[in-house]
Amino acid sequence: MAVDIRTFDTFPKLLAHHAQVRGALPAIREKDLGVWQTWTWGRLNDEVRALACGLAAHGLKRGAHLAIVGDNRPRLYAAMCAAQCLGAVPVPLYQDAVATEMAFPIQNADIGFAMAEDQEQVDKLLEVLPTCPSLKRIYFDDPRGLRHYAQPELSSYEQLQEVGREFDAKNPGFFDAEVARGLGADTAAMFFTSGTTGNPKGVVLTHTALVDRAHAAALMEGLGDSDVVLAYLPPAWIGQNIFSYAQPFVTGYCICCPESAETVMADMREIGPTYYFAPPRVLEALLTTVSIRMEDAGSLKRKMYGYFMDVARRVGAKILDGEQVAAGDRLLYRLGDVFVYGPLRNVLGMSRVRVAYTAGEAIGPDLFVFYRSIGINLKQLYGSTETSVFVCIQPNGQVKPDTVGPAVPGVELKFTPQRELLIRSPGLFKEYYKNPQATADAKDAEGWFHTGDAGYFDPDGHLKIIDRVKDVGALTDGTLFAPKYIENKLKFFPYIREAVAFGHAKDKVCVFINFDMEAVGNWAERHNLPYTGYVDLASRDEVCDLVASCIEKVNLDLSQDPELANSQIHRFLILHKELDADDGELTRTRKVRRGYIGERYLPLVEALYAGRDSVHIEVQVRYEDGRTGNVSADLKIRDVKTFPAAAAKRAA
Amino acid sequence: MRKHIGLIVLGLFLLAGLAAPLVTGASQPGFYIEVLLGGLMAGVLYSLVALGFALIFKASGVFNFAQGAMVLFAALAVARLAERMPLWIAILISIVIMIALAWVIERLVLRPLVNQEGVALLMATLGVSYFLDGFGQTVWGSDIYKIELGIPKEPVMILDQVFQGGILVNKEDFVAAIAAAALVGTLALFFQKTATGRALRAVADDHQAAQSIGIPLNRIWVIVWSVAGIVALVAGVIWGSKLGVQFSLSQVALKALPVVILGGFTSVAGAIVGGLIIGVGEKMAEVFLGPVLVKAFDLAGGGIENWFAYVLALLFLLVRPQGLFGEKHIDRV
Amino acid sequence: MSGGRKIGEVILAVENVSLAFGGVKALSGVSFDVREHEVRAIIGPNGAGKSSMLNVINGVYHPQQGTIRLRGREFHDMDPHEVALAGIARTFQNLALFKGMSVLDNIMTGRNLRMRTNLLLQALRIGPAAREEMVHREAVERIIDFLEIQAWRKTPVGRLPYGLQKRVDLGRALAMEPSVLLLDEPMAGMNVEEKQDMCRFILDVNDHFGTTIVLIEHDMSVVMDISDRVVVLDYGKKIGDGTPAEVRGNQAVIDAYLGVSH
Repeated sequence: MAVDIRTFDTFPKLLAHHAQVRGALPAIREKDLGVWQTWTWGRLNDEVRALACGLAAHGLKRGAHLAIVGDNRPRLYAAMCAAQCLGAVPVPLYQDAVATEMAFPIQNADIGFAMAEDQEQVDKLLEVLPTCPSLKRIYFDDPRGLRHYAQPELSSYEQLQEVGREFDAKNPGFFDAEVARGLGADTAAMFFTSGTTGNPKGVVLTHTALVDRAHAAALMEGLGDSDVVLAYLPPAWIGQNIFSYAQPFVTGYCICCPESAETVMADMREIGPTYYFAPPRVLEALLTTVSIRMEDAGSLKRKMYGYFMDVARRVGAKILDGEQVAAGDRLLYRLGDVFVYGPLRNVLGMSRVRVAYTAGEAIGPDLFVFYRSIGINLKQLYGSTETSVFVCIQPNGQVKPDTVGPAVPGVELKFTPQRELLIRSPGLFKEYYKNPQATADAKDAEGWFHTGDAGYFDPDGHLKIIDRVKDVGALTDGTLFAPKYIENKLKFFPYIREAVAFGHAKDKVCVFINFDMEAVGNWAERHNLPYTGYVDLASRDEVCDLVASCIEKVNLDLSQDPELANSQIHRFLILHKELDADDGELTRTRKVRRGYIGERYLPLVEALYAGRDSVHIEVQVRYEDGRTGNVSADLKIRDVKTFPAAAAKRAA
Repeated sequence: MRKHIGLIVLGLFLLAGLAAPLVTGASQPGFYIEVLLGGLMAGVLYSLVALGFALIFKASGVFNFAQGAMVLFAALAVARLAERMPLWIAILISIVIMIALAWVIERLVLRPLVNQEGVALLMATLGVSYFLDGFGQTVWGSDIYKIELGIPKEPVMILDQVFQGGILVNKEDFVAAIAAAALVGTLALFFQKTATGRALRAVADDHQAAQSIGIPLNRIWVIVWSVAGIVALVAGVIWGSKLGVQFSLSQVALKALPVVILGGFTSVAGAIVGGLIIGVGEKMAEVFLGPVLVKAFDLAGGGIENWFAYVLALLFLLVRPQGLFGEKHIDRV
Repeated sequence: MSGGRKIGEVILAVENVSLAFGGVKALSGVSFDVREHEVRAIIGPNGAGKSSMLNVINGVYHPQQGTIRLRGREFHDMDPHEVALAGIARTFQNLALFKGMSVLDNIMTGRNLRMRTNLLLQALRIGPAAREEMVHREAVERIIDFLEIQAWRKTPVGRLPYGLQKRVDLGRALAMEPSVLLLDEPMAGMNVEEKQDMCRFILDVNDHFGTTIVLIEHDMSVVMDISDRVVVLDYGKKIGDGTPAEVRGNQAVIDAYLGVSH
């Protein structure tokens, strides 16, 4: 793999390099008309050349922006590279954004050119055209349905290439000279991140940043040109772009574009990727499909699955980490591999996966361990758009469910007194586009990027992210209080749907619980517990015991962590109603609005801390049809067992 | 699981019966395997006849009573033609004859009776059956004829190192089994991979829809009956070379009936598996169950082969009325 | 939408067709024509004779009186197979797909008509037969792509939800590359979203392949949106014929059909 990234410091130069040394190896595959169609590196190079010349002929200038709007398609990736060849900047936009959401980035970045996937995306661009005077040309990949479009801005990918080939013939040295002019310090791409508030910000990344990070991670995992990746997440997301553009351009591996969103699972089985990324929600959904299939299977199969999954849970992850395991268990695991894990990996399309990553949000330990226990080398990583992704990666054999691993070579990490994580890395972004204020806020004079994330190193030097800095507080004894961290730990239990933790400026931690109606309802049926509804269940001692047992496990877990041992949960109550976005208790993306809930249910919070056994509540609720009504209930308050802090680890 | 309980119990019961002679030490392993192989060989032939039934039933909904007569007719044709010419030419000509026969049957019997009650068609095939029996003898004669495949009939001893006394097998039987397997494989490929095969499956799935998209039913019927004729020919040649070509050959149809009941009327897989089960079952019953019955009830003990297949089919019918493979919608014809 | 589509000459002419079952008159003296590349709807209340009309064109029923001409050539007692050969394909209101066969195989059966090589070559899969199979497979893959059913290529049709089965039915008819496509209540039993999808596919087919489309449909709103011209039947008689706007304004139609709330 050893590509010299100092010589080949831009993506176009890397492409030229691959076209030369592995011109006949596959670069991009796409399933079309039921067959995997392959572009070799040589072919990709030819496509890019024709496109770049066409774009130059149409007036795309160095530093100008080209929007890329669509799913993972070979031609869109080719367009990305074509822009970079001319020193222009590709700006991938989310293909599922509605038209109005597309207007801002186009206006903000003065985008003049756009490469769209199909009619759907063209329609959206045409819709915003009146508000985006900068947009002059729109190219499209798939002509279906566009035959009768007469807009002067439109032309097809083929037409663009034709112009390009003509231009190339007239100016033979042009393309190579343009590529040679490119420098690592030039802007390679711009990604818009959707801030929770305000307009999205355009994150400007240089070739050097992206190439360096892609290279560092590839070196760490030993990626080479025989690796295969399935590109199935939005290309406008930095993660997908790293895995399906930056890293293949550094290592020469092949990416595969699925036929459609519905065929991803089947396509994955067909190509058998060796390198895989999935956010926790995707892993969760996959596990759910497997579980549903097992429920439908015959009883023999179900029993076998249950038995061997127990074996896997016990020893699978240890075997993957190369730890000592009893010979009998090892044999059982082998047997399970033949009958259960192997077929399961095959169904998931992960038979050949060597390295799999997950990131983006906290992953439940059960979910994480499930994949590792069946022999899939799933690891966590930490990074963001601003850092060209790779900041921390769990190295093989040192994988823990609750950390994201040590820093990737080249990255420096440190913490502010408020425990905010600061990063300095060759992969850091150049700036937020046309937003010097935001840039200055995020990146200080010494080049440290302020992540806004709070965390610390565990005794092994692995980074542990616990919460956003602004949400982290402290108990009265000074102990760190990370409400979201605690709430997430609770929510990993299927019985618990929502949790709200209180503790900032208090002497102990207490929580509100919303249990999961479906899971607890099933549980109640299995235990012959008749009930009428949520409120009824909430008042049952059995349900309180169930919730208490979950909280105890979280406490045990917290007690192992020297930093958080004192923030174990002392008391809890089960809320009388489910938290609802309509009542303003959750955001639309289902995030708990802790402050509002604390005010709204102040009497409950006070009761928790006053040490009472129960509390009466009367609140107004808004029904779905808009009417309002009153609900009143007596809520039980329970104490939970806490554990002494694990002394052994404290020393570290 | 629960709905299969009857089938599972029956299966375990049969397996137990199958294992009994070995477990109780009533038989030497070598001899036991000989009997088993003999049963499988017979089963292959039952399967072939049942296959003809299943094909026609699935594609046209006709229960073809004449399948046995077709076996006899084809075997007679091959035997008599082979007296005058090399065997392979005789077989080729016989194939052409069977295709012509299929065409005639479609023209004269099926087409006029289209959309009639199933019983009318059944009676018609009964008529075809008698016609073929008689007509065959008129054309080809009514003696017992021989088909010489040119394969040595002497049994060979194998595995005499492993078992005391070794195992006696008939080389001809092996060739026959391989030929039958090749035929079944070819048919499966034909149905799965060719346009005509696809059309056949389409017709089997839904006649009317097939017709409305331009699949000509009449042509499909000719093809299906031709295929059934060729299958009958293979069965006839194999059987004829073993036992000689004679009138009793048409009675094998009666053996195929329990096979299709057991396997499910519309299933090729059912015909094959059913044939093997019946073949093995009745051989085992004859060799091992017969003496037991003689001892226990002081019976004469003969003729088990004649009724055992029906009892087996009846048992399956009780626990699974649709036949072993009848319930699922089978993708193949 | 239909900017580039040119409506051409009369391709299908129904002249004075009458059909009776025993004493019951299903159609009496119905005449209308269908022009090349247009979307032509036949509407009417239940029992108006819409399905009978389609079945007459399709060759399932032979009318006692009247003629049907395709490009000027008169049909004479053609059976459905011959009608299909002449270039008229149809879909079914009560799906008539091959439930046990895969989506791919179902659509491939639509190509059977166009297969030319003989049985022996097919059986051996050699020479022209192998090449032909490839060509047809590609045509079918284009249809699968067009109808966005890639994910279900190998799935037995019987296991698909209803809306998708309807799409497969359309795909099988398209595979015949018909010049006229008869759609029998393509939107029946669908929810709003499925109806919208189906409308889009019908218009796309019309636009993309230039296929002339005759559809019968119960759902008025759908018909009015996508048709160029509409025939209205009531009790087996034609009571209206014209553009959707004209039909809406026709008093006889309003009385017979629009006036009745559905």
